[in-house]
Amino acid sequence: MLARLRPIERAGVAALGALALAWTAGALLRRELFFDPVLFGLGSGAIIAALAIGLVVAFRASGVINFGHGAIATYVTYVYVSLVGDGQYPVPPLPNPVAPIEGIAGIEIFDFPTFIDLGDSMGKAPALVIALATAAALGLVAHFAIFRPLRYAPVLAKVIASVGIMLFLQAAVVLRFGARAKATEPIFPNDPVDILGARVGQDRLWVLGTVVIITVGLWLLFRYTRFGIATRAGAENERFTTLLGFNADFQAGVSWVMASVLAGLVGILVAPITGVTPNFFTVLLISSLGAALLGRMSSFVVAAAAGLMLGIVDQELFRLELEWGWIPDIGIRRALPFVVIALAMVIRGESLPSRGALTVERLPEAYSPRLTRGRLIGYGALVAVAFWLTVFAPFQYRSGMQNSMIGVILALSLVVVTGYLGQISLMQMALAGIGAFSVASFGTQAGMPLFISLPLAVAAGVGFGLIAAIPSLRTRGASLAIVTLASGLAMGEIFFSRPGWFGLDRGVKTTDPPTLFGVEFGPNSDFILGDGKIPTGGYGLVLLVVGTLCCISVMRLRRSRLGEQMLAVRANERAAAAAGVNVAAVKLSAFAISSFFAALGGALIAFNLGTYGTDTFGIFASLTVLAFAYLGGISTVGGAITAGTLFSEGIGIVVTNEWVIDVGPYTAYVAGFFLIGTAVYNNEGIDGFQRRQFHQLGAWLGRRRRAARGGAARREPEGADV
Amino acid sequence: MSDAVLATRGLNVRFGGLLAVNDVSLECRQGRLTGLIGPNGAGKTTLIDAVTGFLPNNALGSVMLEGTEVFGRSPHQLSHDGLTRTWQTLELFDDITVRSNLDVASRRLTLGAALLDYFRPRQRSERAEEVLELLNLGDIAERLPRELSQGQRKLVGVGRALVAESSKILLLDEPAAGLDKAETEWFGAQLRHLVDQGYTMLLVDHDMGLVLNVCDYIHMLVFGQLTASGTPEEMRNNPEVIAAYLGHSGGDQ
Repeated sequence: MLARLRPIERAGVAALGALALAWTAGALLRRELFFDPVLFGLGSGAIIAALAIGLVVAFRASGVINFGHGAIATYVTYVYVSLVGDGQYPVPPLPNPVAPIEGIAGIEIFDFPTFIDLGDSMGKAPALVIALATAAALGLVAHFAIFRPLRYAPVLAKVIASVGIMLFLQAAVVLRFGARAKATEPIFPNDPVDILGARVGQDRLWVLGTVVIITVGLWLLFRYTRFGIATRAGAENERFTTLLGFNADFQAGVSWVMASVLAGLVGILVAPITGVTPNFFTVLLISSLGAALLGRMSSFVVAAAAGLMLGIVDQELFRLELEWGWIPDIGIRRALPFVVIALAMVIRGESLPSRGALTVERLPEAYSPRLTRGRLIGYGALVAVAFWLTVFAPFQYRSGMQNSMIGVILALSLVVVTGYLGQISLMQMALAGIGAFSVASFGTQAGMPLFISLPLAVAAGVGFGLIAAIPSLRTRGASLAIVTLASGLAMGEIFFSRPGWFGLDRGVKTTDPPTLFGVEFGPNSDFILGDGKIPTGGYGLVLLVVGTLCCISVMRLRRSRLGEQMLAVRANERAAAAAGVNVAAVKLSAFAISSFFAALGGALIAFNLGTYGTDTFGIFASLTVLAFAYLGGISTVGGAITAGTLFSEGIGIVVTNEWVIDVGPYTAYVAGFFLIGTAVYNNEGIDGFQRRQFHQLGAWLGRRRRAARGGAARREPEGADV
Repeated sequence: MSDAVLATRGLNVRFGGLLAVNDVSLECRQGRLTGLIGPNGAGKTTLIDAVTGFLPNNALGSVMLEGTEVFGRSPHQLSHDGLTRTWQTLELFDDITVRSNLDVASRRLTLGAALLDYFRPRQRSERAEEVLELLNLGDIAERLPRELSQGQRKLVGVGRALVAESSKILLLDEPAAGLDKAETEWFGAQLRHLVDQGYTMLLVDHDMGLVLNVCDYIHMLVFGQLTASGTPEEMRNNPEVIAAYLGHSGGDQ
């Protein structure tokens, strides 16, 4: 067994052994310092482990790293809590077909029920059955409606779809139950017990026992049963397994149900102990992703053991920080998942088993329009309308334009790294946060003028982006997505979530309005044009200019040789290298450019808000930005502009609110839904969809014109682009 | 020896316990089309991967390019040195035009060059235009790879390998795979045409007909070892070759 490991893995095992010995010695000497935390840590570690093995089941079934796994746990848990507490079964928010009419007429004709009443409060057993049945249904939908159609799709589409599941389910929970924590009655006996002198809640041990049993059960199932062996074979070579007479599709479906039910079960068992909030399990999921990666997404035992270890190390660090004051408080404990994932990448390298897919579908086309005179006139008109909306329109439109222009810049940062380079970055808002917090620290607190503080802030973002991009040289696809997610979390935890000069002051960060050469141009500063109400047009105008410049520069990047090299790397790294492309340099350049836009966007958010916290720049914000960017069109500048209008409180949302219906609370929910749909059915987003419609229209008009001329053959340039 | 553009000496490739390429020494001479044949799994593609720097952890030995040791250099450096390859599965860049496919590969992109290219209106690489002309790809230069026929795509693949700054030798990995008989013949004629213009190539294929018809000199690889070498005439009658191909060598003509 040990002989099969690579030297670096053997070294890792040896280091773990030495650590275990030292730990045992410590536990014998100082029980409260080295034994008690282990016992407590097993409790939280069990949750991490349980989510990790669920991830492994889903990956084995369909080669998907399911970022929505934690959200499935959350949703099912809330269903259970609601059933036990009030006997109410939540109905996910459904679209009201007559909503536009209602909105315009100002009346309410029709409404879907929000809950189905099943009597006062339900026993735990029936509630458990109904909740787990819901989980099974979610698993079936996930497989048949989402991941089965995505079987041959690029990794990007799969990751995006699972992010969509996460946003959708989490938003559904918030819509139905609010963002507050929920508690529920215990399932397991919770009297404390004494173990070697340490007191620990019995229920934690029950959870631990359950997780151990499930892990062993899954291991046996996948190792020894016909089903398990066929599923493993199916994940490796679907065509061959099918030829052998197995229904790979059925097996993947069953595995998805198992993964989903497992997620729900964990949530329900844990909820009485910890309580549950809408993003509780998704935050834990980041640790679980690290544990599952250590198990190469295929070993239940390693994933579970790594999950337990994460829980233990977390508790131990917590205890040691209390005990030894000299440990610097730099948030190491909260950045632990990042450390583990980075280690997993170094030790395991790029060794995620990949599926032998039959064909891989195309990535979204990185379309770049030729600058014809017609197009230039169109762009000019667009800028003119944007100018009017930014400066002269009523205040809500001006504010919407400001949010949208920032959204465009943030989406552009993803167009470069995800659209052109083909790598998924889930840390963009953390980089924006670096920009936002730096510009306030350097500018407002240290008193540097804008022309120094802003470049410094952007440079800081680029620096962090480059550091976080180093793993991209060794890893790609879904593994890299996990690394960036963990990097984003670590940046937030280490740099701006804690009080201090760089971080927060009484829970918030404040920046003065931007001033250049004595002229103040914040959103509240005086401006000569417009109606003078807040927000004034001055800051919006600056955003419009900066945003337009950013759009032009990304369009030029796409046409430059560097941009074409990015697309070459996206198409095939090995072929690009053979053609003389320095893949490492191109990747780092793309990440640097992307970080530049992200940090710039962050600094602009800082001026826009004036006072802000860390939530604006958290991991969920990063996921949401990716969602909007993908929805708009991840591989084109037009897509980024579309994404900007959709952004939360952006101009598109303002217009919808004013003219159709108040979509505010449903934004994340609807975005999640359409994100899944976009990933499955139209990977080029709204922009690509419009472009194709437009080309079809152009081709149709061309045909008609030719027919009218009696078939004088002349090919339309528009038609040639299709 | 003196006019060998590419020479490997004692090249080994090991995957765990498997010696996929075993002590291979071969030469490709200036202006010649050298063939490398061998049954499936003989290690032909592995040999190309090793020579072009894609197996840094598995390969050992010496690779001389015009008398300079280049073993251990990375794939993109080798490409700039003039040692380029094509792929069995083609691997064109789907999102950029034929011209850009060649353009990307034609010049080294330093930071300065990238900035200049970005800020100044783009200048087409002369080398890329030359190769487009040479291969008669001018008409399809603005098309995307997916709009081309399989034979045209193969030719673009060859063009992308030819266009390297100081192209010295091309390694072609099973270029005839997926082409029908007529296309193969046409493609072989294109290769011969290039060699007659002075280009040097190593053609890896197991289509004996193609190799015997167009190559000047042929090596045979079986289970990672060179078992026979000679001119097409010699190889046609070599009992080792006939044995390895189970008598196919005569029948394919």
